[in-house]
Amino acid sequence: MEPTIKPAGDSALVISLGEVIDDEVNRRVHAVARAIEKTGFEWLVEVVPAYSTVYVFYDPLRAGYSEVVAAVKPLLQVTSEEFEGRLLEIPVVYGGEYGPDIEFVAKHSGLSVDDVIEIHSKPVYRVYFLGFLPGFAYLGGMDERIAAPRLERPRLKVPAGSVGIAGKQTGIYPIESPGGWRLIGRTPLRLFNPEKEPPTLLQPGDRVKFVPVDEYEFRELYEGEWGRRDD
Amino acid sequence: MIELLKVPSLLTVQDSGRFGYRKLGIPVAGAVDDVSARLANYLVGNPADAPVLEFLLAGPTIKFNVSAVFAVAGDVDLRLNGVPIEPWTSYWAKRGDILEVGTLKSGLYGYIAFAGGIKCRPLLGSCSTYPRAGLGRPLKAGERLNLGHAILTGRDGRHLPPELRPDYSAEEKTVRVVLGPDLDHFTEMGIETFLSEAYTVTPESDRMGYRLDGPAIEHSEKGADIVTDAVPPGAVQVPASGKPIVMLRDAQTTGGYAKIAVVAAADLPLVAQSRPGERLRFEAVSVEEAQELLRRRERMLAAIRKFLDGEMRAYRIRTGGEELIAFAKVEKE
Repeated sequence: MEPTIKPAGDSALVISLGEVIDDEVNRRVHAVARAIEKTGFEWLVEVVPAYSTVYVFYDPLRAGYSEVVAAVKPLLQVTSEEFEGRLLEIPVVYGGEYGPDIEFVAKHSGLSVDDVIEIHSKPVYRVYFLGFLPGFAYLGGMDERIAAPRLERPRLKVPAGSVGIAGKQTGIYPIESPGGWRLIGRTPLRLFNPEKEPPTLLQPGDRVKFVPVDEYEFRELYEGEWGRRDD
Repeated sequence: MIELLKVPSLLTVQDSGRFGYRKLGIPVAGAVDDVSARLANYLVGNPADAPVLEFLLAGPTIKFNVSAVFAVAGDVDLRLNGVPIEPWTSYWAKRGDILEVGTLKSGLYGYIAFAGGIKCRPLLGSCSTYPRAGLGRPLKAGERLNLGHAILTGRDGRHLPPELRPDYSAEEKTVRVVLGPDLDHFTEMGIETFLSEAYTVTPESDRMGYRLDGPAIEHSEKGADIVTDAVPPGAVQVPASGKPIVMLRDAQTTGGYAKIAVVAAADLPLVAQSRPGERLRFEAVSVEEAQELLRRRERMLAAIRKFLDGEMRAYRIRTGGEELIAFAKVEKE
């Protein structure tokens, strides 16, 4: 599809490469986003890639809309060069108190709990983009066999690190928050830490593999990763 | 050091916002009315982005354990040691003085600036409070805050005359918007409804966004949901209910509701300062017009800064029923 550019208010514009959730389109999104970031335009505030769009936030006191469009347009022709982010292994303890909905997911899919764990931890997921919460990754590549509807009534508190399924998506809650996803496990890794630079474990374009661990490993990793906390 | 004796409502430290982290899911945050926050800073001689206190509706009571220059921006009664003083004016407080900030008579957010700014440890390049992610937290009674050094810049007696202050008292405000970017998710009738009806601010409104009530906005056959993408502050999202939500500084960085328009940056403080029960009307402008509004606002703020620094005088001029403010340079002798 030919990219389109539209204003999103007076301080941003949106480049659309389609209205789809698709691996190839998302790779192009990241290629375009990186090309714009690399230019170092003095009016550039920040770039936010999503599934199929790139939002360009700019300073309208430094450049008007048409000037920004003219500067961005030649960059849309970049091919989706094979950018592969880092491959990160995310240890997950599945089921039990860490994944209270795993039996629902299994039942809903007509599978055993072990099948769900195997199917969920098999693929290499791609981080399509981050949003919704600090450090929350929209992951592409979940096997539709384990798709499950959201909770009818969202939980008021989902613990940080919870791994969940909603429809055909899977993801990890980086911080404690309300949420309606079906929780199947939890990772001891800290996905968001404002004291670190960058503050998020996952970056757009990274690849993710879930690795099942047991409760003992979880506790050991948790201590190491989180250190002592003043809860 | 200052001590918070009473904190009757939401009180946070804010600056001009946290930029460069939206692609990691971290909102901009920062003062929801950046004009009032900046004017408060100008009154005490600070840079525009120095950290200030932002209060919701009712202000705190503050004890000074150090002498300091301060100013309060907002339509509010103030007392220093029990004696009434003026908002939009800078004062010296001595060690032991007590400042009582009352309840705003109009508008929703007020700002307290101190010469030298509030000392804080920036997280991700900003002192803006975004409690949801552990980026600072709301302040409580009993807490103490350190102020930055401002011996050289702090000056009392700076005063912003009423005609140069932002006025948020209208119960119905007209807010200019740039239509789109998801206009194809609305029918022509839906867009017409949005631009012709008044929308009431509901109590379900906070720094994240304001839910509005009014005639439902009709979606096209494409429906209310889009493929999730970024949400700029000021975005007017319309979920399936047809009732618009205006996103503010704490808005989540991405979302899946169609955006019928984005509020012009120059008018975003107007939205933020609207109380529940007050009404908003939306007027479409082009992106170029919205950018011109912002440039004009910046020229005005730059002139006000010079006026407060004593480099310019302000004159009120009435022509053809319209009131204008003119600035003229002060010739140094």
